[in-house]
This record gives sequence, C-alpha cells and structure tokens, in this order.
Amino acid sequence: MPQNSQEILLMLPHVVIGVGIVISLLIEMYSKKSETILPWISLFVFVFAGVHSIINISANQILFGGMLEVGGKPAIFNFIFNIGAALLILNSIDYIKKYESNHGEYYILIQSAILGMMVMAGSKDIFMIFIGLELMSIAFYVLAGINKKKSSSNEAALKYFLLGAFATGFIVYGIALIYGVSSTTSVDSIIQNFSTFTQNILFIVGLLLFIIGFSFKIAAFPFHMWVPDVYQGSATTVTGLMSTTGKTAAFSVLLIILSASLINYNIDIFAPYFAVIATLSMLYGSIVAIAQKNLKRMLAYSSISHAGYMAIGLAAANSEAFSGIIFYLAAYTFMNIGAFGIISIIEKQNDANTDLTAYAGLASKSPILAAFMSLFMFALAGIPPLAGFFGKYYVFISAIEADLTWLAVVGVFSSVISVYFYLRLVVYMYFKESEKDIDLHIDKYSLLSVVVSGILVIYFGISPDSLLNLILSVVN
Amino acid sequence: MNIYDIIFYLFAIVTLVSAAFVVSTKNIVHAAFFLIFTFFGVAGLYILLGADFIGVVQILVYVGGILILLLFGVMLTNKITNVEIRSGTTQIVPALIGVGLFAGILVLTMVSTEWKSAPGEIPFTTAYSLGKVLLTDFVLIFELLGILLLIALIGAASIARREKE
Amino acid sequence: MLTEFGKIFIFILVAILFTIIAIYAAKLIRPSRPTKEKLDVYECGENIEGTPWVKFNIRFYVVALIFLIFDVEVVLLFPWALTYQDYGIYGFLVGIIFLVVLGLGMAYEWRKGDLEWARPTPKKVDVKFEKKNLLQTNSQINVESEN
Repeated sequence: MPQNSQEILLMLPHVVIGVGIVISLLIEMYSKKSETILPWISLFVFVFAGVHSIINISANQILFGGMLEVGGKPAIFNFIFNIGAALLILNSIDYIKKYESNHGEYYILIQSAILGMMVMAGSKDIFMIFIGLELMSIAFYVLAGINKKKSSSNEAALKYFLLGAFATGFIVYGIALIYGVSSTTSVDSIIQNFSTFTQNILFIVGLLLFIIGFSFKIAAFPFHMWVPDVYQGSATTVTGLMSTTGKTAAFSVLLIILSASLINYNIDIFAPYFAVIATLSMLYGSIVAIAQKNLKRMLAYSSISHAGYMAIGLAAANSEAFSGIIFYLAAYTFMNIGAFGIISIIEKQNDANTDLTAYAGLASKSPILAAFMSLFMFALAGIPPLAGFFGKYYVFISAIEADLTWLAVVGVFSSVISVYFYLRLVVYMYFKESEKDIDLHIDKYSLLSVVVSGILVIYFGISPDSLLNLILSVVN
Repeated sequence: MNIYDIIFYLFAIVTLVSAAFVVSTKNIVHAAFFLIFTFFGVAGLYILLGADFIGVVQILVYVGGILILLLFGVMLTNKITNVEIRSGTTQIVPALIGVGLFAGILVLTMVSTEWKSAPGEIPFTTAYSLGKVLLTDFVLIFELLGILLLIALIGAASIARREKE
Repeated sequence: MLTEFGKIFIFILVAILFTIIAIYAAKLIRPSRPTKEKLDVYECGENIEGTPWVKFNIRFYVVALIFLIFDVEVVLLFPWALTYQDYGIYGFLVGIIFLVVLGLGMAYEWRKGDLEWARPTPKKVDVKFEKKNLLQTNSQINVESEN
C-alpha cells in the first residue's frame, strides 16, 4: 500500500491505465459513439503514462513492500510501451473501420495489454511477472482474433492461444522449481543469493524452464513456430503491437536474469543457451524471410531474426549488453511500428494489398509513404545513421567485449543477408511499375503516427547518445 | 509404509492412470470424463500436502467449472462424436527424443537434489493465512487479478458473441 | 490422527465401496434374459430417433464461461472475507475495489445482451401487403428459422 502522496504520484501511470480501462468500459457500455471517443481516451492515457514515466525517470523506488519498481529501468520500458501503443492507436482509428467489429473491446484490450507489460517491466516479485504476463497474453489472444469474420484471424488467435498457454506452462513450472529452492518469490532476494542457488541443479532447471517459456514470447528460433501465422493472420495494428511491445516486455523479464548474473560477478550459466538460440534465430529469420512474398509474413521472419540479435546481448551478459539491448528494443519498437503503420494504411479488407506486388510503384503514387517505408526498411536492415544500426552496433560490441566475436560475426553476416529482402521492398516501390491500380486512402492520423515513428528512428540514429545516456543513467 | 503413504500412492495412481486414459482414449467425451478423476486425484494430493484451501479450490474450479466448460465445448461442436480424433503415431521419434530429454533432466534433478523436509507442523487451515497475505504483501496482485478476470470476461464474451447482421 | 479431511476421505471410500458392492451383488443375484427391446434406451415407449449427442446452443457456453470467471472470483474472495475485518476500512476497500471491477464486467455482459437468451425473432407480417410480398416474407422467415 502506498504510504504517502509521493508514492501515489510515482505509480500514477499504472493507476491511470487501470482507471482508463474502467472508464473505457463504462463508455463502451453507455455511449453509442464509443468508437469515436475511445481512441482519444486510450491515446491520452498512453501519452500521459509515457511522458510521466520519462519525466520521473530519476525517482527510482520500489512500492508495495517490494512488489513494483517505478522510475529507473522500468520507466524506460514504460516509455517504449506507452509511446508505441499511442502510435498504434493513431493508426487504429482508420484501420479498425476497415473491419466493422468490436471497436470498444479493441481499445480496452490494448490498454490492459499495456498495463500487463508495465507490470512485467516493473515487477520485483515472481508473481508480479506472472500476473503481468497473463494480463498481456490474454489481451493479445483476444486481440489476435478480434476480427471474427476472417478465418485467418481465427486461426491466428487459436494458434497463439494454444502455444502461448503451452509456454506459460513452462514458465509456471519453472517458477515452482525456483520457489522450491529459494523459498521466496522476491526477485531481489533471489538475485542476492543467486550464486548459492546456482549450485543447486533444481534451481538451474527451474530457471531454464522459465527462460524457455520466455523464449516463446520473444519468438526466438526453436520456439518460433507460431510467429508467421499469427503475425500474418492478426489485424495489422495488433501485429505491430505484439511484435514490438510484446517482445520488449518479454525481454524486460529476461534482463532480470541478466542483471542477476551481472551482480554476482558474471556467473553466466545460460550464455551457451542464448548463444545457440541467437545464432539459429538470426540465420533462420534472415534466410526464410527472403522467400516471403507477403509483407506481414516477411516482417514476422524479420522479427525472429531481430530476437536473435537481441539474444546476442543476453549471451554476452555484460553491462554494455544490458544497455545495448534496451537501446535495440527502443529502436526496433519504433521502426517496426512505423513499418506496420504503413502496411495498415495500404491494406484493404480481407488482407488485400499486403503482398509485395501491391507496393510496386508506390513511390509515384504516394512519395511520402514510400520514403518513410524505405526509411524503416533501411533502419531494420541496420544501415547507418539510423536507429537500427546503433542497436546492432551496441549489441555486437558487447559480444566482442565478452570474447564472443564469432557471435558478432554471425550477426553481421545475417544482417548482410537481411539487407536483400529489406531492400527488395524499396526496389519494388521505386523501380517497378504497378500492375494493378490500388486506390490509396491516407488517413491523417495514421500518417501522423508514421511520421512520428520516422522522426524517432532518425533522431535515435543521429544522436544515439541522447537515448544511451538516459539508459546508462538508470542501469547503474 | 504408514497409512499416509498408502493414501498418497492411491491418489497418485488415480491421477496418473486417469491422465494416461485422457491422452490415449479416442473418444473425446470419455477423455473429458477421465479428466474428472485426474482433477480429483490432484485435489487429494493437495489436501495430503496440507494445502486444504487449494485442494477445495481444485474441486470447486476445475471439477465444478473448467470441466463443465470442457464438456460444453465438446457438446457444442457439431458431430464431434462421429469424429475419430487422430492420436498417437505421427512424429513418434522426435516426440520420444523431446520427452525423453525433458523427463531425463527432471528425473536426474529429482534424484540429485537434497530435498528439505518441511519444518514445523502443517497448519490446521490455510485460508486465513492466505487472506492475510492477500491483504498485506500481495494486495497489488489481488487488485490486478480483478482486472485480469475482467479482461478475461470481456475477451471471452466478445469472442463468443454472435455478430449482428 | 484423523483430520477433518480424513473423515471425508473415509466417507468417500465408503460411498465408492457401497456403490460397487451394491451393483455387483445385484448383478450376481438377478436373472439375466436380455431381449432387443429390453436393451434399448428408454424413450417413453417411442422408437429411438437419432443420436442423443445433439449440438448444444452456444448460449450455454457463454453462461458457463461467466460462471467460471465468477467461480474464480469467489475463490479469491474467500480468504479476503476471513481476514478483512482485521484491517479495518483498508481491508474493506481492497475487497470493494476488486468487487466493483468484476461487477463492471457483469454490467458489461448485461448491457451488451450476452445474458439474454437468443431467440429467433419472427418478422411482423403486414397484412396490407400484396400477396406476392407476403409470400416472400414468409419464405424469409423460413430461412431464418433454419439458420
């Protein structure tokens, strides 16, 4: 229970989103115009929570007797989640009209997903991690199938639900074993006694199960089977949210394990595991993406390979990796949200215009969309001086510092492969004639969202120090 | 072997055998009914371990709620009794490797761990101490669970709702 | 030592044994001369028509879902109800917030019409219509009720 007004002030982002859910529900119940009101309420809630978190970044405190951390590292994550969600809400205003179903629930579920992520990022107790994960996952399962008339959307929801529940099973079993050894659920006290616990094989098995469960959630290679179908079948804005903020939330939990090995003088028992999944994810994602003709599916494979790049940092397990991963997550979130935003503008009903061919000659029809799409593709490929380049750069540097140069080499190699399919889209947009005439309706809010993501990607690329210094100030 | 052990093994056998039937039977309705015994067996194990509240919850929620939902799900599906579900024989080698590896690790862990026996005596009832924890340390989790259940309710209703034409 | 659950366990054992013994004793004692009519399912003397496994209405499922959610809610409220008075107004408020949030869920279901039993709504037929129109509306009704 918060003891004074200062603590209440600090947990305002969580409270505002919680109250936002309740108010949105009331509006959905009693107002006929809920679909025009709710986006703005969600937008307000997200922008407020994001800005509040970043302003109070230095006020690092643990509330509720060691349950929820606010300020510091969670503040950066909260910023990523909330601003990402706000950008997607701007996209959704127009996009959701293309499918006329369940407007109100859509915004309520997105708010609860973000609340779950914020709980995960700030959790100081294993139960909090689990509750946050469930809040996020349940909202995503429903969001994946929000468009009930489309059979691919139903399939996506079912697949995501079954495999997500399977992964959750791993996580819960892992938690049980961890608790069995440590007799506490407090993350801090587990971290303090980490070196003692790791002598117990039961603890290591528990932690391994826990990590495997989260490997599902970050979509790393051996646990990636659900990714392409779910990303392709879900509504584009939902895919944008799942692939960016969802991944960031799962990484925020994996970083807890990383910090445990950092504090305990680099007992890094899981480095081999992360090195293997990093290598496999990078290469698999980059190579299979080449064969994809559907843009959403291509970005799904690209998302697998990006999970691999970030897992390099987990394998390196030093303080550079820690800040590098957070930087990468921020960069990846905004460039991917921008890309999915453009897809959602061009997409028509029933998945029309999500193929590469729909983008042929886009540069002549809408130069601004083509320019921004190229920007996001260059950023995803990691071409300097954009945000994606510095994300990869920091992660690779950390790998070299940790004597894992081979992993960095594989990463560079995989990036080179991935340039092919990212640039292929640019070639389609600028150098191909369009085969069919697509009528393009560019909504002003969607365009605003794309422009803001573009500006953030350029800004993080031109002055990476601004973000990196912020991250470094909270990591230590 | 005292009476406690006998009861434990009784429940363990009920749980395991019925679970084996659940996965091996070809009739999906029978599978759902065998699940009742699995849930009861697990509830018995919980009570034997001194977690009486969890045991009662297991019967209340799993047998009384989830299983009913499962049976409804079976009965809602059109012509499900005519469908022979495919179970078994595909991909048997990778499955054996995966399960064998997993089981091997778990058994190895089980054997090599020095198990601590629980100190103190088993509490008479656990509901009161659970309530105390819910209102002190885990009060935030209690409220978040409220939101979680709300979201589950909204999500389930909006998925199951029929579209208006 | 016999705990309260031990007593329940003995009750369960006795109940199971009693049923098994009763059924098998009856089977041993009674004469067994089956005919086809005797082995049929009893359906008020009528011949059996179709399978008993018919498709249920989806509405049952929604009600069961709501029941399950509130089942879990009850489970969480039990420990709260035992302890909240030790914590005064604070303990009371914690439970009230929890209940209000879930009550909102119930209100949502109610408002959205998920609790209403869906019936096929017959269209009102205007008598003043021409005969051709009337036939059309009737055929529409038939189609709807089949759906």
